[in-house]
Amino acid sequence: MANLSLYSRLKFGINPTPLAWVVGLVLGFALPLSAKPWALESPVDAPVPVVEGNPWSSQPVDSFVLEKLRAAGLQPSPQADRRTLIRRATFDLTGLPPTPEEVSAFVNDNASDAYARLIDRLLASPHYGEQWARHWLDVARYSDTKGYVYGREENRWVHASAYRDWVVRAFNEDLPYDRFLLLQIAADQLVPERSSDLAAMGFLTVGRRFLGVTHDIIDDRIDVVMRGTQALTVACARCHDHKFDPIPTADYYSLYGVFQSCAEAMVPMGEGENGEVANLVAKNRDLLAKRRGEQMDRTRARLADYLAAQLELEKYPEEVFNQLIDDGDLNPFIVRRWEIYLERQRVGGNPVFTAWHALAKSAPAGYAEVLTRLRSAPASEANPSVLAAFEGTPADMKEVAKRYAEVLKQPEFKAVLEGVDSPCHVPDEHIANIEMYFPTNTIVELWKSQGDVDRSLIEKGDGSTAATILMDRPLAATPRIFKRGNPLTKGEEVPRHFLQAIAGPETKPFAKGSGRLELAQAIASRENPLTARVMVNRVWMHHFGNGLVTTPSDFGKRADAPSHPKLLDWLALRFMESGWSIKQLHRMLMLSQTYQQSSSGENGGRGQQIDPANRLLWRMNPHRLSFEEARDAWLAATGELDLRVGGKPESLFGGKNLRRTLYAYVDRENLPPEMRVFDFANPDLSISQRTETTVPQQALFGMNHPFIAAKAGVLTKDAATMEASGKVRLLYEKLYQRQPTSGELELAQAFISSAAATPAPVVRPSQWTYGYGAWNGETGKLEGFTPLPHFNGSAWQGGDQFPDVGLGWVQLTATGGHPGNDAKHAIVRRWTAPQDGDYQLKSTLIHEPEVGDGIRAFVAHGSRGLLRSTMLHHSKEEIDLPAIAMHKGETLDFIVDIRDGLNSDQFLWAPVITATGSAGTGGDVVGKMWNAEKDFGGDLPTLLSPWQQFAQVLMLANEFMFID
Amino acid sequence: MTTPILSRRDFLRRSGVGFGMLGLAGLVGETSALAVGPALTHFAPKAKRVIHFFLNGGPSHVDTFDPKPALLKYAGQVLPNNRITERKTGAAFPSPFKFQRYGQSGIEVSELFEKTAQHIDDIAVIRSMQAEVPNHEPSLMLMNCGDSIQARPSLGAWLTYGLGSENENLPGFLAMCPNGLPIKGSENWQSAFLPGAFQGTYINSQHTAVNKLIDNIRSPHANLQTQSRQLDLLKQLNEKHRQSRSDSRLEARIDSFELAFRMQTAASDAFDVANEPQYIRDLYGNGVHGRQTLIARRLLERGVRMVQLWHGAGQPWDNHENIEVNHRNLAAEIDQPIAALLHDLKQRGMLEDTLVIWGGEFGRTPSVELSGNQSKLGRDHNHYGFTVWMAGGGIKGGTVHGSTDEFGFAAQENPTSIHDLHATILHLMGLNHEKLTYRYAGRDFRLTDVYGQVITPILA
Repeated sequence: MANLSLYSRLKFGINPTPLAWVVGLVLGFALPLSAKPWALESPVDAPVPVVEGNPWSSQPVDSFVLEKLRAAGLQPSPQADRRTLIRRATFDLTGLPPTPEEVSAFVNDNASDAYARLIDRLLASPHYGEQWARHWLDVARYSDTKGYVYGREENRWVHASAYRDWVVRAFNEDLPYDRFLLLQIAADQLVPERSSDLAAMGFLTVGRRFLGVTHDIIDDRIDVVMRGTQALTVACARCHDHKFDPIPTADYYSLYGVFQSCAEAMVPMGEGENGEVANLVAKNRDLLAKRRGEQMDRTRARLADYLAAQLELEKYPEEVFNQLIDDGDLNPFIVRRWEIYLERQRVGGNPVFTAWHALAKSAPAGYAEVLTRLRSAPASEANPSVLAAFEGTPADMKEVAKRYAEVLKQPEFKAVLEGVDSPCHVPDEHIANIEMYFPTNTIVELWKSQGDVDRSLIEKGDGSTAATILMDRPLAATPRIFKRGNPLTKGEEVPRHFLQAIAGPETKPFAKGSGRLELAQAIASRENPLTARVMVNRVWMHHFGNGLVTTPSDFGKRADAPSHPKLLDWLALRFMESGWSIKQLHRMLMLSQTYQQSSSGENGGRGQQIDPANRLLWRMNPHRLSFEEARDAWLAATGELDLRVGGKPESLFGGKNLRRTLYAYVDRENLPPEMRVFDFANPDLSISQRTETTVPQQALFGMNHPFIAAKAGVLTKDAATMEASGKVRLLYEKLYQRQPTSGELELAQAFISSAAATPAPVVRPSQWTYGYGAWNGETGKLEGFTPLPHFNGSAWQGGDQFPDVGLGWVQLTATGGHPGNDAKHAIVRRWTAPQDGDYQLKSTLIHEPEVGDGIRAFVAHGSRGLLRSTMLHHSKEEIDLPAIAMHKGETLDFIVDIRDGLNSDQFLWAPVITATGSAGTGGDVVGKMWNAEKDFGGDLPTLLSPWQQFAQVLMLANEFMFID
Repeated sequence: MTTPILSRRDFLRRSGVGFGMLGLAGLVGETSALAVGPALTHFAPKAKRVIHFFLNGGPSHVDTFDPKPALLKYAGQVLPNNRITERKTGAAFPSPFKFQRYGQSGIEVSELFEKTAQHIDDIAVIRSMQAEVPNHEPSLMLMNCGDSIQARPSLGAWLTYGLGSENENLPGFLAMCPNGLPIKGSENWQSAFLPGAFQGTYINSQHTAVNKLIDNIRSPHANLQTQSRQLDLLKQLNEKHRQSRSDSRLEARIDSFELAFRMQTAASDAFDVANEPQYIRDLYGNGVHGRQTLIARRLLERGVRMVQLWHGAGQPWDNHENIEVNHRNLAAEIDQPIAALLHDLKQRGMLEDTLVIWGGEFGRTPSVELSGNQSKLGRDHNHYGFTVWMAGGGIKGGTVHGSTDEFGFAAQENPTSIHDLHATILHLMGLNHEKLTYRYAGRDFRLTDVYGQVITPILA
């Protein structure tokens, strides 16, 4: 610590960041030359500056901003117009565009408090909480899934959406921020059982599973709490003292100890589960209890072996990698528990194990002497009952182990075998905490049983009945430093306490349980110099585009100094005085003239020169819509947006998902490419500010994704019967909430006439449909034909994710496809005869892969049944039928299933059907051909109409994507 | 002459707005120059691009590039140095495959890779690789991202972050895998805390149609003529919009549409192997691996920075059972494409600045895997020692580096970590692995964390 402080002082004294110097020189206040980074000093309540001749504003925020603008010789920009203001405020607070009606009402509201009332209205909207929850969920590395897990484990979290909805509610209800944090870190100790506030602890528990590696799960929790609430990069101290900030490794392991002393638990909320779920919960609980009991018995029965194993510990890896263990094997984890236990007895001088340790140190030849010495020791040093077992001198340590195993069965030693700290004990905890106690097949069995509960909760419940929390364990751990972060090189023990950088070097160890509640209290405290500043800065960033501190999750020494330190402190103090009200904070910022400035930068010549990054805020920063905002705004423009708040997640582009993008299913293992391409926050890491890239994949999405084309279709539907200029006006109103200029009207008309001059392609009704069903070998008929629900632009399948959660691998493309996972999900390409007549079939069926057992294929007539069948594996076959008599409306099905096993069953099969007309009735179709490959397509219009093309352009324009 | 590396900010300012590499301008609020230039490196690069054959599941080194005749001596006996792996293993299991010396260097290679072996004098075989644990998931992460557990950027993400792409119309980093995803899926080519644009683009090489290979590369709703007219209008509207505003992001977004439009045709061309003459297609072979390797060469030729070729979905090389049949089948699928690639790169003069990497996430045990004391004629995972080889740009061909013990269980001479391998790859690409950093969560992260030494003996 001492060295670090000296180092820090030198660093700070000699090499402050240039901006900090400028700030200091311009404003004439000295930089603090203390060892602490500025952010660890308490906020200073500086008086609101009085800026002479300030006609601009009486808002305190503006005075702080103007003071610095003046000092730099800059002027603020004029106020933005009314339409811009309502768009800016509405997107900012709700993530949605205002309706055209809302815009015109506000533009025409001449009352002096119109703007203030607007802000109040928006803050009262249930959609406010959705927008601001998403900002927090970025910090909380929110995901609906656990990331990669072994096959035995369900990979969806049962509690993720409950946590997400809790955050939405917390913002909507303006839950005081200190309480907001307390509940997220320690709700288990603050609210009654079954309280819906238990969901808050998702903050700690929606991280990755890290394949169950405890160190990394804990590291993730330390990181999300410390960067999220304190903007301190404590996780840097995992391997060595923090290189820049006063955070020693000891403090990291202090916090490690807090989380190490907690177990993950799934608990009911509200009424909790009932019906089938409750049964599964009970079944799972009973199974776990049974297996725990068996495991404890097994360890006790193998006592002699576990003791003997202490003499060849090298055979039992300490950091257990995933090693398959049979019932009959010694479990390396339990071997190591015995090691720790015995060591603790040695240090604590437990007389029961004095003989063990003494004999282990000695060669067999010296045993007799050792035992004689021990017999003369008092009972408090060497237990007489144990010594009695060594009347005859044992030959070796194996025998010592055997005799110990025998003697420990006596009632006197019950605690050794049955106490909660016994190495035989398996704690009564969720399988996530205790899997390493069991043999591999039991682990699989227990996870499957837990998975049944999880799936039932996720699929049958509404996502609000279960929370995953942390609970303090009965015995808190005293953590040891892992040298260089390596759990195999353990260093000294450290007490569990709060960061010394904040609480001081004399900080008292946590006294209650794991200390997690005390940790939460130390964070959610007015004495904490960081908590309020960090949140104020986050809120500021989302309003203004950049934080006062540009690294919102790092307030350490390597961060740039705040652009407006006095303002940051002033806001932090007012925030706490307001009872940590985030809504009050929004008002304070949004009612300022600084916020209401124009963003155009038109007259900003000097600003552009002196302060191109606009850190002094001589204008407002334009805001580019996030992915969520853009998708929501497109759906709002079409009028389709489903505004229900809360609930289960839905696949982003799957089915008919018209909900806000907040509710899109976030699978951290398989994030939809659209979300990644549009800079969605990486759900594996706590993200303080999203990167903002401009990449052509984004443009490709806009130009080519079926979603955009479909929305362009919906947008123009209402205007179908309107005359041209009316259509243009309607589109501008829906998308931009304004009227087009005469120049824009002309552009639009010119575009439409030019597009319309291109002959429209003929769209023919398709004779093909795409679905799945089951082949009945006995009747020779297809059963249960069901059309596939989703077309992704190039394939029909179960949903936008492939394979689909429900329908699995079923898929049809222009040239082939893939059968579903079982015989009930054979894939079916169906052709319907347009006229009575004879038809000829020509086709080639190919199954390429060598692996697997191949496929079965059938051609079947709707009423007559099987016409042809085959089995193919790594081969191909011509499937031709010269003449099939069909009546109008009868179907011909091309069916493929997986044969016996699901493995590499993709195939190529694109039949061509020609009308031969020999029956004489199909005269007008004779010679006509239906080519499965060429005819293939979705439900969507094959080509966009000129108006749809125009609407699409407006949807993609910068005016849509950037908010002034 | 070497070019000094610029700061990230300078680097971003001059970076192109290509598939792999863009819009970083927007990230730091800089104006982007729409240029794609030669990469800035710490020193002169030996290789400009990387192709990585990833034999996922773990190919057996003692059956491919690391002959162990001593296993025959011990056949049926438990090896004196048998080690703990994921599952139980029993007696020594001599390789069922014949080894033979190849080339001037006379390096021994098994019959499984007899075609690849014809190029052994261009190859440096590292026989002393070591990973950390004998489990697939952490080892895949270690090999690809330099850390077993935590979310860290992949090698390809680092390379495109550091070097950009030389073709703005194509992704800078692609991962191709036929018929699905390997274990751990897209985590294997993740960008983690690097911007999402550096994430590898996954290509299901089972498909042949380009619109199935790249997301949104074609519109089902408009032809190019229509789109061109739409983009004209879009540009007019955007230019008008920009007149009264000053924000470099507006320009960047305008440009991105032009680029996207061009990309639609450029990408189609790159993926279309029908444009190759028949004798080239024959050289690579007709299977999916031949096609994917040939596509990879076309991509590399067009300036793509890194292509990773996965063997298949899941973990095909994970032969716990009957390794003789399974390894033979798997090797037969890729031996010809690999040999073809080496030959083809050479005849095009590309081998000298293309780095070819071959390997899995670990090797396999020289002892036989047991299932309840029954031999399964297969091998368990082995992270203690295994083989990776590299060829091409900057590699001293015909070299063997390091060795495993007598039986092939553990690295013995010159044990080489994955970090060393990564340091060497970056070095060959002109990057100092200690200086290629990214600031995240208060720390300057590296691909090699705090480890890594360039394996100098294999450098040309």
